Amino acid sequence: MVNKVEREVQVLQHYLNEYGQQMEMLSQQLQMIENGRAEAAAAAETLTTLAASEDGTVLLPVGAGASLRVKVLEPDQVLLSIGANVVVERQNAEAKSFLEDRMLEMEASGKRVAETFGKIQGQANEVARRLDQIYRAVQQGQAPPAPTG
Amino acid sequence: MFEGLKGKLAGVKSRLGGVIIENAEEIETPVEVTPPIEAPAAVSPPTEPADAAPDEAPSSSPADAAPGPSVPEPEKRTLSGFFRRSKAGQPDEPAPAEPPAPEPALPVTDVEGAQKTGIFTKLKVLVTERELILKEDDVREVLDELEIVLLESDVALPVTEEIIDHVRRDLVGRHRKFRESPDEIVTETLRDALLEVLGAGFDLPGYIRGHERPVRILFTGVNGTGKTTTVAKVGAYLKREGFSVVIAAGDTFRAGAIEQIDIHAERLGIRVIQHKQGGDPSAVIYDAVEYAQAHGLDVVLADTAGRFHNKQNLMNQLGKIRRVMKPDLVFYVDEAIAGNDAVIRAEEFDKTVGADGIVLTKADMDPKGGAAISIAHTIGKPLVFLGTGQGYDDLQPFTPAGMVADLLGTAEA
Repeated sequence: MVNKVEREVQVLQHYLNEYGQQMEMLSQQLQMIENGRAEAAAAAETLTTLAASEDGTVLLPVGAGASLRVKVLEPDQVLLSIGANVVVERQNAEAKSFLEDRMLEMEASGKRVAETFGKIQGQANEVARRLDQIYRAVQQGQAPPAPTG
Repeated sequence: MFEGLKGKLAGVKSRLGGVIIENAEEIETPVEVTPPIEAPAAVSPPTEPADAAPDEAPSSSPADAAPGPSVPEPEKRTLSGFFRRSKAGQPDEPAPAEPPAPEPALPVTDVEGAQKTGIFTKLKVLVTERELILKEDDVREVLDELEIVLLESDVALPVTEEIIDHVRRDLVGRHRKFRESPDEIVTETLRDALLEVLGAGFDLPGYIRGHERPVRILFTGVNGTGKTTTVAKVGAYLKREGFSVVIAAGDTFRAGAIEQIDIHAERLGIRVIQHKQGGDPSAVIYDAVEYAQAHGLDVVLADTAGRFHNKQNLMNQLGKIRRVMKPDLVFYVDEAIAGNDAVIRAEEFDKTVGADGIVLTKADMDPKGGAAISIAHTIGKPLVFLGTGQGYDDLQPFTPAGMVADLLGTAEA
């Protein structure tokens, strides 16, 4: 009986670790997607500002809060990495539209990852609840209740 | 799986179909038909009176009297014009619905009757068909769009170029009879182009059945791509296919890896051979092969620790594993969501340790499909499995026809 309970605890603990690892991985993916989306949003915003600027002057951050006022030679020509390590030249408006589409795609991907994350979190909660049940029963000197569901 | 690419390909298909409709032309082609005496209304009989010379109609060549295929009609018409014209040289003359019957008042001899029948046995009529001849300019814009769609989906540049070239070759400058819908023409062209780059696939059960047992399969790849789970999934798949399997817990480096594969194997009812963490993976895998030989098992699946190809000490370790295990197959495992990076890594891995097949995990999370499309063509090794979820059954044996059908939204050929 004790061995059986120990074995169940071992297996549940392993599942919990697995779920934890998967959630960690998905959480990293979510963070990457969010970073990518924010980067695309910033780029689109910069292109908008540049298009509206009369002489193509923008602030170029060089790090540590320092910026330079620079003049962009060709504000309407954007070199854009479209995927597969390929860079193409696009007009400002086209590049902005591409970036906005990319943001939408990333939002959709983020939603899917978040759904998977939620599903795994639910399963992990179930396992944690069962482990808790077993621990409490053992502490009270009772046989753990049979798993439900 | 690959939803983004599917949606974009559907858009390209639709635009290419539009180009075909715009450029399809009706031409007149002489076709010999042999209608019954009571010709159907759709095929108009000749309009000669019953007492005309019997040889007149058959002897007149349509090429002499009417424009042939070399003189296409400039105007575009609809398919409703099929069989509209009945006789060479008399295109606009209205035709009776039925052939004229012999006059009862003027009986004919049997010979004459036979000759009259001959009039109808071989009719040369002009059939209006639609023919498709696309020029480079007609498709340039759509092909540019297809190129961008593929590149945006992380399909490697050489593979994209191959697909575009195939589509161009298939459509531009060729006379094609346009009897099917434009959607069918486009789908067929794209299907052929994708099948060309996807290669032939790999039938693992077939390979095992035709090979000396135990078949030894080594799984390699970079860290965190899901190798251990993939080993378990492949084990479950092979068990379902009726093979006996043993797993070697060859990832002795990562904390928890042995326990992980142990639990997987227990749940699947598969024997696992393991040593302590930090042990020599070659020894574990050697023991697993010995075990399989001693017990007459069909397959040894060897898990290994994840490593990057530029870590020389780890690559040397893999070299030792290869010498000890003598694998029949080396499967490189990477994640589909890595896109073009997965393709580049697979290429590097193939150069350094070799690979016989590829497994792409997390394909269900990948909206682009670039890695799945590019990897086989780029490294010249087949894609074997796609991991599509968290469960043991979420592993699809990769079939090029299946993937293309899925991408193009058609039934598998």
